[in-house]
Amino acid sequence: MPVAQRFRRRRAEQDEAGAAPRPRLHAVGADVYPDWEAVYRDNVDRVYRLMFSKVGNRPDAEDLTTEVFLTALRPLRVSASVGEVRAYLLATARTVLAGHWRRTLGREITALDEERDVAAFEAGTPDPGTLARAEAILALLPERYGRILRLRFLQACSLKEAAEQLGTTVGNAKVLQHRALRQAAQLAEGMET
Amino acid sequence: MSTRGVRRFVKDLLRRRRPRPFEAGPGDEAELRTAVLLRAARPGGGAASEEFVAGLHRRLAQELGEPAPARGGNRRRFIQVSSAAAVAAAAGAGVEHLVTSGAEPAAAPPPPEETTLRPENGRWRAVVAAHDLPEGGVLPFDFGAVAGFVHRSGGQLRAVSATCTHLGCRLNLDAPARRLNCPCHRTSFAVDGGVLMHQLPVTPPPLPHLVVREAGGVVEVLVPPEGA
Repeated sequence: MPVAQRFRRRRAEQDEAGAAPRPRLHAVGADVYPDWEAVYRDNVDRVYRLMFSKVGNRPDAEDLTTEVFLTALRPLRVSASVGEVRAYLLATARTVLAGHWRRTLGREITALDEERDVAAFEAGTPDPGTLARAEAILALLPERYGRILRLRFLQACSLKEAAEQLGTTVGNAKVLQHRALRQAAQLAEGMET
Repeated sequence: MSTRGVRRFVKDLLRRRRPRPFEAGPGDEAELRTAVLLRAARPGGGAASEEFVAGLHRRLAQELGEPAPARGGNRRRFIQVSSAAAVAAAAGAGVEHLVTSGAEPAAAPPPPEETTLRPENGRWRAVVAAHDLPEGGVLPFDFGAVAGFVHRSGGQLRAVSATCTHLGCRLNLDAPARRLNCPCHRTSFAVDGGVLMHQLPVTPPPLPHLVVREAGGVVEVLVPPEGA
């Protein structure tokens, strides 16, 4: 559903419920945010999810989300349409993410994808492509490589737990994990190109 | 074998810590990217915590100096271009500051004072010599903070933003057809900003117009200064 339509519907639902928690500040068009707080509420989770999918950890994702809103909200023209505000947040997120990698690793490890990320951002749902891509890579790995990565990355098992599941020692599990990630990276690069 | 930096990065990721910075080599990129992808694919990992959302809300309220604009009164505050760097980052959303009347979507009638916006500290920037933009001509320009197209038709100069009003993609000029095409969702605009064609469920608004003039034989547009 397009942004404007969905937003209109949400507003309509709120109005019907008669329990909109916030007073309506302006008699504005339905696809315009009434104030910066509405911009924030409607988009904070989208920006956070986007950033988490690009850095894979909570502390960095929270910092980058903060940076996006601090940068974006001040010069924002609130009467811009929902679509324009989102495009602006995405553009800011792109710059903020690039700056993060430049500062921390000196290389741009991940970037915003024009098609996938824009679509997921608009939908406001977790990008199903992330899991699909991960699964596609895992499926191509030798069985034990796939299992160790699944246990460690997706199921958040400790090395000890993963070693037990695989019936091996912690030392072996560690080596297995490194090799598996190495091979997964090679596969991933092949898939991207 | 993975470098030490990569191993530590992965370890931090798996322990839900902020990965420590290091100087990554070209051979490290693929592994780092894959580690991030696998970690991001973890079910339920992506949602923001309520605590974070509330904390950032408080901080923003403080930074913005007020809880929210009151009825109509304080909107100007949000219109001002307070940071050209931020506008440059937005690459095109900044164009909104230069909107002239008639470009607003009908569904969102703005308060009267917003219909002829100009950047408060805007500068006239030369696009092209006037004689190089003949009747019917279209030319792109890009000043970082603002990109657009100028054209002359019926003896009149006009300029529109180069940012698609759907999701902000940069429009491409198809000069022979006098169309501005969006590479993202097959939307096409006329050079005067009107929507020619789209495959979206809802027609996107026309392109915002920029303030343009001819002075001293040069076509100029009014844009926010760069890096100020």
